Amino acid sequence: MNFLQALAYFLREAAVGLARSLRVSLLAILTIAVSLFLSGALLLVTENLARTVRDWRAAARFVVYVARDASDSARNGLRSAIEHGSWTGAIEEVTPEKARERFTRAFPSLAELVAGRGEDALPYSFEAEMKSVPPGESARFDAWVAELRARPEVVMVDADQDWISQIETLLALVRGLGLALAAILLGASVFTIASVVRLTSFLYREEIAVMRLVGATEFYIRGPFYCEGILQGLLGGMLAVGALGAVHLLLAQKVASSLVAGALAARFLSPVELAGLVAFGGVAGWTGAVVSLSRESLAAPES
Amino acid sequence: MIRFFAVSKRFPTGQSALDNLDLEILRGEFCFITGASGAGKTTLLKLIFREDVPTSGQILVNGRNVAQIPRSKIPFLRRTIGVVFQDFRLIERKTIFENVAFLPRILGLDHGRQKRVAFEALRRVGLSHRMASFPSQLSGGEKQRVAIARALINEPEILIADEPTGNLDQDLSQEIVRLFLDIHLRGTTVLFATHDRALIESVGHRVITLAHGRLADDRPSRREAYRVPRPLDDATSGSADPQATTASRSPSDSTTANWTEEEPE
Repeated sequence: MNFLQALAYFLREAAVGLARSLRVSLLAILTIAVSLFLSGALLLVTENLARTVRDWRAAARFVVYVARDASDSARNGLRSAIEHGSWTGAIEEVTPEKARERFTRAFPSLAELVAGRGEDALPYSFEAEMKSVPPGESARFDAWVAELRARPEVVMVDADQDWISQIETLLALVRGLGLALAAILLGASVFTIASVVRLTSFLYREEIAVMRLVGATEFYIRGPFYCEGILQGLLGGMLAVGALGAVHLLLAQKVASSLVAGALAARFLSPVELAGLVAFGGVAGWTGAVVSLSRESLAAPES
Repeated sequence: MIRFFAVSKRFPTGQSALDNLDLEILRGEFCFITGASGAGKTTLLKLIFREDVPTSGQILVNGRNVAQIPRSKIPFLRRTIGVVFQDFRLIERKTIFENVAFLPRILGLDHGRQKRVAFEALRRVGLSHRMASFPSQLSGGEKQRVAIARALINEPEILIADEPTGNLDQDLSQEIVRLFLDIHLRGTTVLFATHDRALIESVGHRVITLAHGRLADDRPSRREAYRVPRPLDDATSGSADPQATTASRSPSDSTTANWTEEEPE
């Protein structure tokens, strides 16, 4: 029997096996589908969140607010200090008039808050684009920001880096928890598939004995069971991908304008990631079959 | 063809199934193995097709010590030995054709050739018209004939039968025995385990009697003409008459040996 003939035989026998123990097979498929759906959803959320954080980081700025009573020379000295910072990109000086104009444009309904207060309404500031801070240099960056804050002419320094770092820490935590959860769920799936394959091999034990008797090799005895595990995993994976797609579509329609939905699920998983999820299901199914058959259920009577 | 050298088999419980057994079965012989329940008949047969291994001693089948062959080679040994059991061991969900043609199929024969080989095996046992039936649709005697056809599919050199008539009435038992005698006439070495003394006496071939795992008696065949050597039989085993040799396997029978080891492991 060549490989294709063997594969056709394995698939046919695996399909018969699935049909023969339909309920438990469905249970295994559903278990792996739920595991892969949750893993895929976590992947989707973390990917989108990471992309959003990357975007935020690319557009990150820091704003240094200057005290109203600061002299011109102090302001110029401050500008020079900001310009010499390793992380500083282009700098824009925002005068109180410009700040008031921006505020009025951004919040027209609140314009009266700043209308009658002249230059006192909003402070003078420097807005600087930020170059990306490598992870190993964040301490240096923090020290530099602290130096700026310590200057007498500075009222406040508002650096996006602070909260972006916090979000990145949160993202790493979510990723870690997600990975742990996915590992537990997939472990449960492998266990379920192993149990189902074991049950099927138990149902077939007499046939297996006959196959051994007439001279079938382990390759032909185990092949259909491995195929059955792989089929269960692939079907579970496809189900999970279908469910992910449906949920994503629903989210996209219902909460398209939501900032949170946009940040968490703006982009769907790539075809490679989706194929990876399905393939992962297949691998989990195969692992379940291997785990199951490595025990005594299919072992030839050791002589 | 089959030799036992001081073979003992002791189970983990301490119970002894075979005790220092020496035995030789010649190529083309028809041998009854008899004895009371627990005498060691089934164990003796299981050792030949490596369903079990001896605690001590050697078992040579065609010059190879079967207790020493690696596990991966056991299937290839079994393809040269047909085995028939009292309980038929047919696969209920498969048709008679599928039951019989299983080995040709896993060996990669195309469907047409599978059918021809299965048809020929079933024709020999008189069931070629039941290929599409399922085991549940057959009588006990028919089931046993299907099991025999399955055992014959690869033209084995040795046919082992463990109480093949145990579940059959007397008429069916005689019918099955006649079938075994026909197979034997084609040159196959037959080992037939039974405790049916009347059946044994009605045939008159060599009878090996076991008691408590030991050789209690070894009565030679009264029908020497049935000892049919194969065409390539060695000189030491041949005392067969020319007519019987002519009745042995035709040259085309040996072609099946060509596809015996084609399969990946």
